[in-house]
Amino acid sequence: MTSQAVAAPRRATAVRRFRIAEHKLAPWILLAPSVLVIVALRVIPLFLGAQYSLTGDGERNGVFVGLDNYRALLHDRVFGIALKNVGLLFLALPVAVAIPGILATFLFLKVPGHRFYRSVYFFPVVLSPVIIGAIFNILLSFDGPVNQLLGRAGLGPVDWLGNGKVAIFSVIAVHIWATFGMALVIFLAGFATLDQSLLDAARCDGANLAQTVRHVVIPELSRTIQFVFVTTMIGLLTGMFGLLYVMTAGGPGGATYLPELYIWITQGQMNSPALASAASMVLFVLMLFVGFAQLRLIKRATKEA
Amino acid sequence: MRERGVARWVIAVPMLLLALATVYPMLFTLNVAMKSRREYVLDRFAPAEHVSFANFAEAWNSSGLGRYTLNSVIVTAGAVALLLLLGSMAGFAFSQLNFRGRKSLFLLCLGALMIPFQVIMVPFFRVLGQAGLLDTHLGLVLAYTGQFLPFTIFLMTSFYARVPQEVIEAARVDGSSTLGIYRRIMVPIGRPALLSVGILNALFCWNDVLISLLVLQSERNRTLMVGVTALRGQYSDNIPLFAGGVLVAVFPVILVYLFFQRQITDGVTAGATKG
Repeated sequence: MTSQAVAAPRRATAVRRFRIAEHKLAPWILLAPSVLVIVALRVIPLFLGAQYSLTGDGERNGVFVGLDNYRALLHDRVFGIALKNVGLLFLALPVAVAIPGILATFLFLKVPGHRFYRSVYFFPVVLSPVIIGAIFNILLSFDGPVNQLLGRAGLGPVDWLGNGKVAIFSVIAVHIWATFGMALVIFLAGFATLDQSLLDAARCDGANLAQTVRHVVIPELSRTIQFVFVTTMIGLLTGMFGLLYVMTAGGPGGATYLPELYIWITQGQMNSPALASAASMVLFVLMLFVGFAQLRLIKRATKEA
Repeated sequence: MRERGVARWVIAVPMLLLALATVYPMLFTLNVAMKSRREYVLDRFAPAEHVSFANFAEAWNSSGLGRYTLNSVIVTAGAVALLLLLGSMAGFAFSQLNFRGRKSLFLLCLGALMIPFQVIMVPFFRVLGQAGLLDTHLGLVLAYTGQFLPFTIFLMTSFYARVPQEVIEAARVDGSSTLGIYRRIMVPIGRPALLSVGILNALFCWNDVLISLLVLQSERNRTLMVGVTALRGQYSDNIPLFAGGVLVAVFPVILVYLFFQRQITDGVTAGATKG
């Protein structure tokens, strides 16, 4: 009986001690798998890639060659086209942001059927680029329906995917068609945080739609607009592989190359992983350039967490 | 701020036209898939003579789509399960627990968001090869987990941040351990978020082609989207059959969209507004 009376408090302290140890250890147990996955599958490959980009391909496999690969990229005609096309992406960016921005404004004003429009516009976002590419392959083929419609209207057929001057615009347009719904719902989420009293005040002052948008909506939504610009540009830079692969495979004559496709082909078909790594680093620098704004947004988020 | 009369129409007409432009390519493809090859060659736009699913059936039977679908289901299910487990554990720790190094670890996880797969593709391929995981479904599951984990952690953290601290304190007073709180409180309470994040990740994995093309090489291991890219060569002279194969592959996604539309847009916008 006495031994039991002594054992009870001793067990209680043991349990408490276990609790304290568990309390300290728990965050690490919870985080260890995720940190391991992220370090092993993202961070380490990034450093390995940077290292590969300074070594040689083929006979010089693994040999340190300094900046030779980057020099080779400078003289590679196809990589030059890829970079030129990145320039086109920057030109397409305002269009890709303005379309969903304007539509979101209309939806926010509750045009009849706004729920229906929202669902319809968002729908292509959930489709795989492969599916979208396949569908537009049918629509845009030389003897396909789009050209047939043009023919009926008395306009000559356009070789949408086979003409080097046209093809990249076709693919970019399809990408915008497929993704504007994403930016749209992000804009709508931004609108949902808009202070209704500001809008009421604008109306009392007799502001028309254009004035309200310019003086109330745009300044109030500046964070959302900034966010959409960054994510849309990242989507253009890194989300077009599926479309390119299915619709043009980089052709005709390399006219529809973007850095991501260049990396893929150089690593796989050309069997030059070191050169592909150098191209990867160029893409990464481009991404950092674009993502600089995003980094600022992330910092804000970590303050809240 | 309601505009009247003409202004209303100036808005309504372009919106309707754009909605049409959004769904028409799908409807056109559906119509093509119902046609025979002859019908398609004669007139691209005319409605199919009768409702026929023959092209769907033939594409399904003759191209190995069944096998590819099974592969996609296996890989997607594996990756989503792993993502939700790891993501919710990390999200709980980041949002509710205090420990040294929390901020820097969170920044590491979010910083990984800015590394697109294309940038790490080459070393990833080599490392996977050295680990003997190339051309295996496990290799692809790990690749997807690595790819989508930062985003998943981000969403789960912002969701769990809304759970009041009192809930956790009450559980502690009742003698629950931290891991017990995760299992008995955070997992059940997080079900709506897990559903939303799970569906979003399932779509990402299901729709991916780049990572799948890199990791899987043999035909029998292929995922559905890679299978679809091969259809093009297979049926290049029979567009209706090609359309049938494409639509078979997209059918599950349409179903998911019809049932879980809100969860999908909620997940997407949660990432955006929190960021």
